[in-house]
Amino acid sequence: MSAKVEHHPETLIQGNPKFSSVTQHISQIVEDKTKMGWILLFGLSASILMMLLGAVGYLLFEGIGIWGNNQPVSWAFDIVNFVFWVGIGHAGTLISAILFLFRQKWRTSINRFAEAMTIFAVICALLFPSIHVGRAWLLYWVMPLPNQMAMWPNFRSPLLWDMFAVGTYFTCSLLFWYVGLIPDLATLRDRATTKIRKIAYGIFALGWHGGNTQWKHYELAYLILAGISTPLVLSVHSIVSTDFATSVLPGWHTTIFPPYFVAGAIFSGFAMVMTLALIARKIYKLENYITLNHLEKMNKIMLVTGMMVGYSYGCEFFVAWYSSNPYEQFAFINRAFGPYWWAYWTMITCNVVVPQLFWSKKLRTNLAVMFVVSILINVGMWFERFVILLTLTRDFLPSSWGWYWPTIWDGMTMVGSFGLFFTLFLLFLRFLPMISMAEVKNVLPQADPHYHVADDHNADKSVKPHPKPGIEPGTAMGGAGL
Amino acid sequence: MSQIFPQWTNKLPAVLLAAVLVFGAGGVGFLWYYGSPKYTDVGYRPTQPVPFSHKLHAGDLGMDCRYCHSNIERSAIANVPATQTCMNCHTLVLPQSEKLIAVRESWATGKPIEWVNVHLLPQYAYFNHSLHLNAGIGCISCHGNIAEMEKVQQMQPLSMSWCLDCHRNPDPHLRPVDQVTNMNYAPPADQAAFAERVKEEKKLNPTQDCSGCHR
Amino acid sequence: MTVVANSIKAVIAEFDTPADLMHAAERVRDGGFLKFDCHSPFPIHGMDKAMGLKRSPVGYIVGAAALCGFIGISGFIYWVSAVDYPMVISGKPFFSFQAFVPVAFAVTVLTSAITATFSMLAINKLPQLFHPLFESKNFRRFSDDGFFVSIDAKDPKFDAVRTGEFLKSIGGKNIEVIEVKE
Repeated sequence: MSAKVEHHPETLIQGNPKFSSVTQHISQIVEDKTKMGWILLFGLSASILMMLLGAVGYLLFEGIGIWGNNQPVSWAFDIVNFVFWVGIGHAGTLISAILFLFRQKWRTSINRFAEAMTIFAVICALLFPSIHVGRAWLLYWVMPLPNQMAMWPNFRSPLLWDMFAVGTYFTCSLLFWYVGLIPDLATLRDRATTKIRKIAYGIFALGWHGGNTQWKHYELAYLILAGISTPLVLSVHSIVSTDFATSVLPGWHTTIFPPYFVAGAIFSGFAMVMTLALIARKIYKLENYITLNHLEKMNKIMLVTGMMVGYSYGCEFFVAWYSSNPYEQFAFINRAFGPYWWAYWTMITCNVVVPQLFWSKKLRTNLAVMFVVSILINVGMWFERFVILLTLTRDFLPSSWGWYWPTIWDGMTMVGSFGLFFTLFLLFLRFLPMISMAEVKNVLPQADPHYHVADDHNADKSVKPHPKPGIEPGTAMGGAGL
Repeated sequence: MSQIFPQWTNKLPAVLLAAVLVFGAGGVGFLWYYGSPKYTDVGYRPTQPVPFSHKLHAGDLGMDCRYCHSNIERSAIANVPATQTCMNCHTLVLPQSEKLIAVRESWATGKPIEWVNVHLLPQYAYFNHSLHLNAGIGCISCHGNIAEMEKVQQMQPLSMSWCLDCHRNPDPHLRPVDQVTNMNYAPPADQAAFAERVKEEKKLNPTQDCSGCHR
Repeated sequence: MTVVANSIKAVIAEFDTPADLMHAAERVRDGGFLKFDCHSPFPIHGMDKAMGLKRSPVGYIVGAAALCGFIGISGFIYWVSAVDYPMVISGKPFFSFQAFVPVAFAVTVLTSAITATFSMLAINKLPQLFHPLFESKNFRRFSDDGFFVSIDAKDPKFDAVRTGEFLKSIGGKNIEVIEVKE
């Protein structure tokens, strides 16, 4: 039945599973007894989350003064972590939306948890500006609501753009993720054996019955969601970059910021997907679904975006020199050789030098190497935002130069945000199918209605003729892409 | 039978949607009305340490506001009279009244009477009282008809949008400066023309900038 | 409640593969049935044509909503910035539309996403937790590896016995008549 398929190099799912074994394998992760490893990791992340709650609680009680922020560095870890987490989210949307539009079918194995990662990363990101406003309970003032002050938000402010961009991004990602989950929730509902599971999954599956009359609207809605999420990949981080770029500070006031931020976001996001994928793959034995092929493709994307980021670093120096603006030039020389030189060179090492390893096929298909590199990239991307922030320490007037160092509360909030992220992520792994079963089944060769090609007289003319039996039309075109 | 949910659950989405709409609209309406300073602040009428009647003094006796609130035309902050101001008359008028025990005590000890502030503006809003009087805004515009109040209460919301209403269109509130304390002032028939003239003469330009009040 | 204890809602038949399901759909369509559905664990490419279905209207709905969202938010920003509370900010004109693009764009996308999701659910009559087809235990495999054709009892050509035989004749297995207790 599948002899020909196994020979095809672009087979997306290895081990030639049947539909039912896909269901079985992935649902089992949710249905089995909780693994010890999960409990340990969850305990750890939940404890870190508690630390975050403590730090935020104390912040709300005491005020922003507990952080290291002060003039001239008036925003610090909060904006660094905000940009870091929003950036992480971008890979999820890229995988779920852009790769979907480009019919990159290899995305099916990783899109579900990449999207989950997006949502949780955006939650972490939204935390920081929300608590940095000082009086977090008045946060609703950023929304244009009628009020007794006759006031409206200032639509010309990049910080308000941020609120709209990130809020939209979160909502769209959540809807996209949930719509994708509906058929799989129906699978879990139909397999459920306990009353609670039946009811819980039953409610969230909304009564899905998988009829083609439903799939028809579902597929179009999913396509539209992918289509409208696509520009968000580019717009959200562009808007985030305008927080910096619209200010008139040397080193910030530059038009390269939006593309530079977007490339960096995708770069760090893929690194985070990689870290998570490698761990999940190992713990839940998903080697057949997240194959080396997937990982290698992600590594290639990281190599490309890493080079784009490296190019931006170089370009900034060139523009500073070419502008003949002494302040601009000083800002960059100060970054590389000033008091925070170590942050700069950590960034360069992790973001530009380390990814070069992926030129070698041997290294980019080595699990240990890619795990270490993915973590280093995230460290580097965090430092990138930190380096950008530190521009504030030295601006035009030497008399107003300052120094920035975080306090223990800054550190606890930052580390705590990882606790929030991993707690949510572990809950997701435990209670929701981490790989989209419906989509994986759809890329199996036997899902093609022309799999038995002998009598496909009614086939859609546009997808005929097939070069070889058993190959999804999209696979041949899409799989070779990256 | 492998149904999980009974048939009536199919009606739930519609019911929930209706509930969300009803309670959503209700919640908005509730906050709109009960959360507004028109509801929360207007009508604030604290009990003062001395049962002082504005109706008696300013209304029936016809005393001018400025006899007691003497600085209001010259100071940014409208003053509450000192105990001495009360005693100017009350050493002779009703010197033994029980209602005035607190006043006499304050006078004897030199400790001020702790009047309760009725018209409270937030600290982040800068308000200059003299500026408004000299522009020709009557007491009544913000404080209501004090001369009829037994116990003073807040009549206007004092919200930012209420400030702005007048800053955008002060015309109906303008009057000659010698009439600002007059509670029975009747505006002239040509109020619009009068307002134009006053604004021209005094170069009135009520600020609408953030920094006008939030300095 | 009524005299009839059970009422027949549909007949379902199972097929082995996506290809079988698709051919069955064509046969059912050609058999003149109008109210039928093909249930599968994943969307099958070409099934709309096999069932004789028109294109989904979700796209037009989202298009209209996006347009409304864009006009609505642009008008709102204009009203706020140039009419209701005009403020001079950084010396820009009141209606400095370039600065309003990001918010207008974000809100347009937001409107579209919400409309796409909820119009899809509404057209699919979801959430609908109780569905007659869930009476069948076997049918629950639609979300695993089962491929089913269901013909609704409301179809003018429907007849519990003959429709079942028809489904059998086109290769259906496990023919079941779906009954719901009234």
